[in-house]
Amino acid sequence: MTDIAPSAADAAALDTPPPRRSPGLALLRRSLRHGGLLVGGGILFIIVAMALAAPLIAPHDPYAQDLSRRMIPPVWQVKGNWDYILGTDKLGRDYLSRLLYGARISLLIGTVTVLISGTIGTLMGVCAGYFGGKVDAVLSYIVTTRLALPVVLVALASAALVGSSLHGVIIVLGLLLWDRFAVVTRSATQQVAGGDYIAAAKAIGCSTPRLILSEILPNILNPLIVVATLEMAHAILLEAALSFLGLGVQPPLPSWGLMIAEGKQYMFFSPWVIAIPAVALVFLVLAINLLGDGLRDVTAPENRN
Amino acid sequence: MAHFKSHLSRVLAALALAAAPASAFAGKANDTLTYASDVEPENVGPYHNNVREGVIIARHVFDNLIFHDLKTGKYEPQLATEWTWTDPQTLDLTIRKGVTFHNGDPLTADDVVFTLNWAVKPESKVVTKQNVAWIKSAEKIGDDKVRIHLVGPFPAAIEYLSGPVVIYPKAYFEKVGLDGFAKAPIGSGPYKVTSVVPGKGVKMEKNTNYWKGSPLGTPSLGKLEFRLIPDPETQVAELMTGGVDWIWRVPADQAKQLESVPNLSVLAAETMRVGFLQLDAQGRAPGSAPLKDVRVRQAIAHAIDRKAMVDNLVRGGARLMNSACFIDQFGCTDKGVPRYDYDPAKAKKLLAEAGYPDGFAIEFYAYREREYAEAVVGYLRAIGIKANLNYMKYAALRELARAGKVPIFYQTWASFSVADASAFTGAWFKGDEDDLTRDPKLTQLLKTADTTVETDARLKTYEEALKLVGENAYVVPLFSYSTNYAFTNELSFSAQPDELPRFFQAKWK
Amino acid sequence: MLAFTLRRLVVALSVALTVSLIAFVLLHLSGDLATSIAGPEASPAQVAQVRQEYGLDRPLTVQYLDWLWRAVHLDFGNSFYFRTTVASIIAERMPVTMTLGAISLMISLVIAVPLGIIAAVFKGTLIDRLALTFCVLGQAIPTFCLGLGLIIVFAVNLRWLPVSGTAGWMNYILPSVALGWYAVPAVMRLSRNGMLEVLSADYIRTARAKGLSPAVVVLKHALRNAIIPVVALAAVQFGFMLGGSIVVEAVFSMHGVGHLAWEAIARNDFPVVQAVVLILAAIYITLTFVADVINALLDPRMRVA
Repeated sequence: MTDIAPSAADAAALDTPPPRRSPGLALLRRSLRHGGLLVGGGILFIIVAMALAAPLIAPHDPYAQDLSRRMIPPVWQVKGNWDYILGTDKLGRDYLSRLLYGARISLLIGTVTVLISGTIGTLMGVCAGYFGGKVDAVLSYIVTTRLALPVVLVALASAALVGSSLHGVIIVLGLLLWDRFAVVTRSATQQVAGGDYIAAAKAIGCSTPRLILSEILPNILNPLIVVATLEMAHAILLEAALSFLGLGVQPPLPSWGLMIAEGKQYMFFSPWVIAIPAVALVFLVLAINLLGDGLRDVTAPENRN
Repeated sequence: MAHFKSHLSRVLAALALAAAPASAFAGKANDTLTYASDVEPENVGPYHNNVREGVIIARHVFDNLIFHDLKTGKYEPQLATEWTWTDPQTLDLTIRKGVTFHNGDPLTADDVVFTLNWAVKPESKVVTKQNVAWIKSAEKIGDDKVRIHLVGPFPAAIEYLSGPVVIYPKAYFEKVGLDGFAKAPIGSGPYKVTSVVPGKGVKMEKNTNYWKGSPLGTPSLGKLEFRLIPDPETQVAELMTGGVDWIWRVPADQAKQLESVPNLSVLAAETMRVGFLQLDAQGRAPGSAPLKDVRVRQAIAHAIDRKAMVDNLVRGGARLMNSACFIDQFGCTDKGVPRYDYDPAKAKKLLAEAGYPDGFAIEFYAYREREYAEAVVGYLRAIGIKANLNYMKYAALRELARAGKVPIFYQTWASFSVADASAFTGAWFKGDEDDLTRDPKLTQLLKTADTTVETDARLKTYEEALKLVGENAYVVPLFSYSTNYAFTNELSFSAQPDELPRFFQAKWK
Repeated sequence: MLAFTLRRLVVALSVALTVSLIAFVLLHLSGDLATSIAGPEASPAQVAQVRQEYGLDRPLTVQYLDWLWRAVHLDFGNSFYFRTTVASIIAERMPVTMTLGAISLMISLVIAVPLGIIAAVFKGTLIDRLALTFCVLGQAIPTFCLGLGLIIVFAVNLRWLPVSGTAGWMNYILPSVALGWYAVPAVMRLSRNGMLEVLSADYIRTARAKGLSPAVVVLKHALRNAIIPVVALAAVQFGFMLGGSIVVEAVFSMHGVGHLAWEAIARNDFPVVQAVVLILAAIYITLTFVADVINALLDPRMRVA
């Protein structure tokens, strides 16, 4: 694995030991004692709940524009009013409603990207870890190639190529961000595949696909979930960067990254326009990272430093 | 570890490199006007770029043969002291004596002949060919006399000689070639270039030997520095902190806020650029079948609150346009052209009559002013048309539109600053590849109008054509644009409607 | 050792070859190049002429091999936009990006390594927790938000440092902090983990048992060994930083290669984009190769991989 330089997160994820089926109760108890996990999980739960409930709780249609009511400041400022708690944007759309619906977009981007990249990466990692030898060599070559590509640049070029839309961005990110999944599942699979019960399963004639599906996958689930969480944060951040550079999702979709990019124009005189989505984004990424770190800690308590 | 050390030494070397003397602060104190823009010319040579920033440099560094006085509308002598048409295809000019290039070489008839003949050669690869395509050749017919042979009759020749056609130094250009010239251009204009760094900018210095009596006047500012700053907010930050002295194309909101900054002045001016929606009335693009119905096109026109956009978004002297041209152009009128007032209820009714009571989904393309496009998309959404905004670079979008793949195109057109309606209608309705309408009757009307000599008949024909465009809602004219300039209040600067800042006329207060 | 180095070299070269193929294909798909080069005013005949002049009418494989052969000789053709050689443009811009990357790396090391060591020494205490929290928070802030924030605070409000450009060393401070920030959490975690590992090693326990002061133990004995993985990671991070500088260069208007590539994408100037992708990848591949070999030299266990 030396040819694939592990980042700290990889290293940490790799720390996850040969998995065992932790008794649920002990896991829950450890989770409840883990501050970071609780805070992260709590924030994420609130964001997800708000995203899901957006149609019910949003005070206005996030797309309804009214140019005569543009740039109303949030309620805590002098000219703010309670009709628009977080103010309105440059087209007079309610900022709070856009923020709520924007949570859906950011979460959607994070989730679907991770589903795509997770599937690709896990498939590669499990194959490499299980079969070893040539398959493994090919994988490490592919991963090295992927890591050698400057990711922001390639994502930008690809987004320009497929056209910058929600689908385009998700596909580009999904096809780019599988490297960590491959690295982590590979080593986790290696550890599992070396276990006695796999040998036993092989001995009684279990087919390879079945073995992978029923024995290996469930056993590498813990590190997989940890990587998935951290990569979700990564995807959300990268989408924000793409939108910032003008090649992410397109308006009027209220993605948080796009809201920051559009609010940039006002950063010197009406900083709340950029601060509100920026703070929301930081909270979301922070929550996901805390959750990921926490999950790693509680699923592998003996590795806690 | 050895590797680490050598790496470290490289880093230190790089640091030393970076610590080269920082550029002094801009402004009156050291007589340097630093202006910023977001695009740089790919080649500083005026014939080898087609961006505004290049035009600005060209006007400061080079001289034209003829000067167009925008205030009086008259053409005045510049390098040519006089000119006469011997026939509609032959122009004779007398070249001014005593003008020198920045390197001291005298400017002569030979330089003029060389420049024109060089520019029309295909292997010179002039970027905007139409600027010189009307010239057949130039010849020297006397010590200070030059004769230009035209390809055909072209009354606008004088306009081009006072605009994009500037004079190069023959000897120097032949010595250094195009690449050398791009790095160190030499002209005879009020400013000389002292450094060109691609990606960074261009530095210029006052030409203290600039010839007396030039219609451009005597330059006052000592040094000019063009800095490429692609990010508009960075431009504003630099302006506020004194890093640059002059920026333009400031969005209306920012311009208004900058007005309250003590050391800055803000200037807004209307331009000839008109924003409009091109609708694929032919239904060529996938998904644009609804646009074939005139009622759908009219519904779109009624859906957009253009007044609100002018008042709230564009501002700065922008005006609402009802006709498919810039209203001050000769021949442009909105007399008899139907008004499509903002009326979403009527728009919905029209949509329902056309068989789309619940609206439809359609692709919408734009290449500049994302927020204007976004506002239009928002208005369409309100009457049930789900327009999906695609934001692209102009060249790519134009290619797509010409291939017949664009249902709705948020277009803008500045008519090349030509104050004649033909420059607008000719570009969009005369049946060529940019024309999405392709109405033969309209094309015929415009052909008649463009070639009619008799003024009243010409005006009448344009009126008829524009009425036809309006009744069919082939395009939805939106508004004229405005440009906001913001600069240090130590600077005395005035803007002209042709969007060409003239720093050789600016002064420190 | 020689066999190991050779094997790595073969991998590195084949990865470089694959990257070159990807760069070539990706950007060749970006629309009809002849049309974009000829410009919007061009007639079909002019487009055809351009197609022939630039050799765009040849089969793709021929174009690729031709391009690769020249690229190996550092001839990347002419920029469609600037109409001068790509090599000269990149040579002009590379020092900016290199300087930015180098300073960023130093800043991140200067912040992260001491922080990691302190966290490890005071493991489990409030200091450790604060350091880790700082890390998680740092990871959650998008680079461009941090960059904009730095501009608002230090350039516009306090006026301590310039807003943008590359005029002098002062111009590099803010962008380097913004870029280096991203690497801090990874480097910090790694140096913390490395330190923890070393601190629990036998010889350190021996040193402690001998009664050496904790400071001497940490600084003299543990640090040297703990820092080795950080050096390897630093090499890799430097590669990532060059690739990631695109966002920072955009925010601070620095005319480095990242900025160049971003604009080139928008202008469809694909020889430039290709060359930048290839050069950044080549730098990354070289750095990881060197780091691998150094690692193997320092730690013979690595050589088997």
